[in-house]
Amino acid sequence: MSHEFYVWMSFGMTAVAIAFEIAWLRVRAARARRGIEEERELEAQG
Amino acid sequence: MNWFYFSSPSTFYRLAGWLAPWCFVAAALLGAAGLYVGLVQAPTDAQQGEVYRIIFIHVPAAWMSMFLYFVMACYGAAALTFNARLAGMMARAIAPTGAMFTFLALWTGAFWGRPTWGAYWVWDARLTSELVLLFLYFGFIALANAFEDPRRGDRAGALLALIGLVNLPIIYFSVLWWNTLHQGSSVSFKGTSMHVSMLTGMILMTFSFWAYAIGAACTRVRCVILERERRTHWVRSL
Repeated sequence: MSHEFYVWMSFGMTAVAIAFEIAWLRVRAARARRGIEEERELEAQG
Repeated sequence: MNWFYFSSPSTFYRLAGWLAPWCFVAAALLGAAGLYVGLVQAPTDAQQGEVYRIIFIHVPAAWMSMFLYFVMACYGAAALTFNARLAGMMARAIAPTGAMFTFLALWTGAFWGRPTWGAYWVWDARLTSELVLLFLYFGFIALANAFEDPRRGDRAGALLALIGLVNLPIIYFSVLWWNTLHQGSSVSFKGTSMHVSMLTGMILMTFSFWAYAIGAACTRVRCVILERERRTHWVRSL
């Protein structure tokens, strides 16, 4: 296999891993905000 | 200056929110510069050809994997010693990013090892101790989340992180203590044998990863704070 394959597999996986982590962080942040909204609704219901 | 001002989750939440975007911007700029220097400006290696360019990811990722573990263990020690809530949260926030960099160091190492050594993996002391580091990160994440009471999870995770610290000198000195297939350090405090553009690219990528790690940890710790403190008045009034 050519050297380019090994180089791009390394750089490609790095890009994928960082993109995955950022997407995961966004999902987690949205879930945390939703949790606060639910708490507010529960409080409003008494 | 009151150094304990930002040790409160409510004040640190705002600081982390301010810091994270700047860190991501810095990471993107430094990463773009590092990739330009590493992929365009740096010359082809006389022995390894183009495949050596993996160094611009592999070495910074490996450095970050060890550095982040050290920082995580320091936060763990603070959580245990001072019973500080934020320290336990920070240790949790750092662990996934540290695990990601450890995985990347192993992955890129495998794709560098195949064309140079003829194998993706060998049970070499450096590779094996780095794999142990990945398992320590996974162990920390699993243990910290195994308790219903998050404070107990923080303490258990902190203990594991502190015990795992012993692995860091093993990783670093493995190439000196054992006859390993993995090469010794190309960069040390005494100097380097690398071409200046190669070194520049590597340093730029290291700072990029560093900024990214701070940004990711700040973003994640904000999530942890919101999850844990969602019943407090200050979170509800956000």
